[in-house]
Amino acid sequence: MKIKKLLTALPAFFFLVNVGLGQTIVGSAHDFSAQTWNTTQQICICCHTPHNADITIPDAPLWNHRSTTATFQLYTSPTFNGAATITQPSGSSKLCLSCHDGTVALENFGGTTNGTHFITTVNNVGTDLRNDHPISFVFDAALAAADPGLWNPTTHPSGIGTGTISQTMLFNNKLECASCHNVHNGTGIAHLLRKTNVASALCLTCHNK
Amino acid sequence: MIRLLKISLLQLFWIPLAVYSQTIVSTKHNLSVSGPGAIKATTESEICIFCHAPHNSRPDHPLWNRSDPGLTYTLYASSTTQAILGQPDGASILCLSCHDGTIALGSIISRTTPIIMAGGVTTMPTGVSNLTKDISNDHPLSFIYDATLAAADGQLVNPATLTGPVKLENGKLQCTSCHDPHKNIYSAFLVATTQASNLCLVCHTPANWVTASHRNSTSTWNGVAPNPWFHSPYTTVADNGCENCHNPHSAAGKLRLMDWLPEENNCLDCHNGNVAVKNIQAQAAKTYKHNVYGYQGIHDPVENALVSTNHVECTDCHNAHQANNTTAVAPNVNGFITGVKGIDQNGSQVNPAVYEYQICYRCHTNTPGMAPPASPRVIVQNNVRLEFATTNPSFHPVVGPRNNTEITGNLIAPNTASTVIYCTACHASDGTGSPAGPHGSIYPHIMKAQYLTADNTTESAAAYALCYTCHNRNNIINNINSFPRHRLHIVEERTPCNVCHDAHGIGSPGTTTNNSNLVNFNTAVVSPSGGIIQFTDTGVRHGSCRLVCHGENHNPETY
Repeated sequence: MKIKKLLTALPAFFFLVNVGLGQTIVGSAHDFSAQTWNTTQQICICCHTPHNADITIPDAPLWNHRSTTATFQLYTSPTFNGAATITQPSGSSKLCLSCHDGTVALENFGGTTNGTHFITTVNNVGTDLRNDHPISFVFDAALAAADPGLWNPTTHPSGIGTGTISQTMLFNNKLECASCHNVHNGTGIAHLLRKTNVASALCLTCHNK
Repeated sequence: MIRLLKISLLQLFWIPLAVYSQTIVSTKHNLSVSGPGAIKATTESEICIFCHAPHNSRPDHPLWNRSDPGLTYTLYASSTTQAILGQPDGASILCLSCHDGTIALGSIISRTTPIIMAGGVTTMPTGVSNLTKDISNDHPLSFIYDATLAAADGQLVNPATLTGPVKLENGKLQCTSCHDPHKNIYSAFLVATTQASNLCLVCHTPANWVTASHRNSTSTWNGVAPNPWFHSPYTTVADNGCENCHNPHSAAGKLRLMDWLPEENNCLDCHNGNVAVKNIQAQAAKTYKHNVYGYQGIHDPVENALVSTNHVECTDCHNAHQANNTTAVAPNVNGFITGVKGIDQNGSQVNPAVYEYQICYRCHTNTPGMAPPASPRVIVQNNVRLEFATTNPSFHPVVGPRNNTEITGNLIAPNTASTVIYCTACHASDGTGSPAGPHGSIYPHIMKAQYLTADNTTESAAAYALCYTCHNRNNIINNINSFPRHRLHIVEERTPCNVCHDAHGIGSPGTTTNNSNLVNFNTAVVSPSGGIIQFTDTGVRHGSCRLVCHGENHNPETY
């Protein structure tokens, strides 16, 4: 009976996967080519440059955007066992926050420092990250052992490709913005998610609830 | 083939794993369209979203996606709660954002319009899951549970030792201490089984519970209403444990979370012949009884042992956490009445009572509201406790053995001069096979057997069956080893025992000369002769009486 149900669900899964492939940043929420504040009318340039990139920022591929200097308030909870390893946003997360914390103007790239357009609405997570899913903390087998509400990332498949959570979603064993979000819109899923959250599938990738 | 397919499917798609293990997906807390419960969304597929959001949550943790109801709740309160209770906070307020029934289940912060629920459901429907804003009938929550509280209560474990499934949140007990909203391995999302009250006993350590009948009895319910176990799935007394009497949520008897508001109903829903062997309810239906039905809301576990406001409840004499069926020798308390307060022979509180009579003294020691003595006497006595003092001229041997051997030849074995008896030797339910104890009787004063007191009663074995239980009738009515005029008085003159004898005992100002052998005349029958009503003891089975009775002037009569 259950097998029958699964078989019924299969086409839906494949459909989603097929849609996911082939999506690009063009036309996505991160395609700023038509924004008034983007006088270059280019897409990649808001974040990247092929030459003379900023190499002072770690984990920043050919970086072209001003980096946030904010100090963030970090997530805390009595039931959050990652508190021991959580740090100020690191790696690529800091790159995301360089627009999404609302402190750096969107057009502050390519040397511009006096932009006036800032991110708005729910896309502005601010510098208070206490009400956002924690990032920049180590998610390893030890954490999963301490919190039975988490899958072991070293063995549990992520459903993204064929790898485990550790292999496909974490960065130096850390969970970052890019664990859930694909900044370049590889999947075409709303909110630039890396996999569908239908039936909370994305949440339940890591959360054994 | 099918097995292979199944395995490969599980490997490819981890989501269906949820179906095979205990996750929120297969519980009623999956409010999405895929949820298994009656309450679910019409189309919304996301599960976590009903409570959590990855961004812009409120409050911050645990990434909450629902509004605080912002209500003032009616809190639990009882005289036996040492915890300092405040308004719900922490995880509890999150639970209440659905379970107080005030906010629509589909109303979440991250959506501008509420998620539509099937069947037009908005807020939590009325029922056991809707606690309402009156949580005074629910287990207390959001209080600091620390070693100090445990010590003050005396029947709670030190929370520092909690290593099992029950967890505190920042030192406070919250809904999540007992419930895991994500897993329903046990019923009601509990973190441990309630069988034999396993979960309750993680924190609660009632004294002597281990040996209590309510902990160990394998008795089952015969199926006759009312269902004593309406909120638990178990079928024996032992398995129901605490839940035999207590209901952790929406308890009808708010104080101490009892199943029923009338105190006695919590006992009589089992002790009515449907679970327990003995039918106490049948005794309580008799004319003469300790009328547990007659009072409500007066008994308080922390009340003074000396009852100040007249009442009686089952728990005045029985401790449901400790009672067991061990036997004892008078005057010691037996298992059925172990663990309750009493008043000792000196009038001081004793907790727990050591002797049965100490429990009786809680009320029967000149306490307010007690009825006056049944018969008018030469020496008026309003205090049962003083009647039984072993320093009295005469007394029934309840507190200690009798002080003379005059009666010995008249006693039915195994009674001897050194025998001590319980109050319940005389005051108990009548009838063969009735439960022990003074629950109810067809005879006045809850007598175990008939004890007629009306003047001109025709003597018979039945008329004074109570006395004849221990005192040899043949000897008495034939003047053998007893008062040589017994036959004249009892049989021929039809004078009840009660007219000459004051059964409990005679204290001050009684004397060994005038009040031996429980003599304290009933002045409703006996009148003065020359202004004097007096018995004088002049030796073993010798004495004289000066009085007028049945028209006979004893001025005096000697024997």
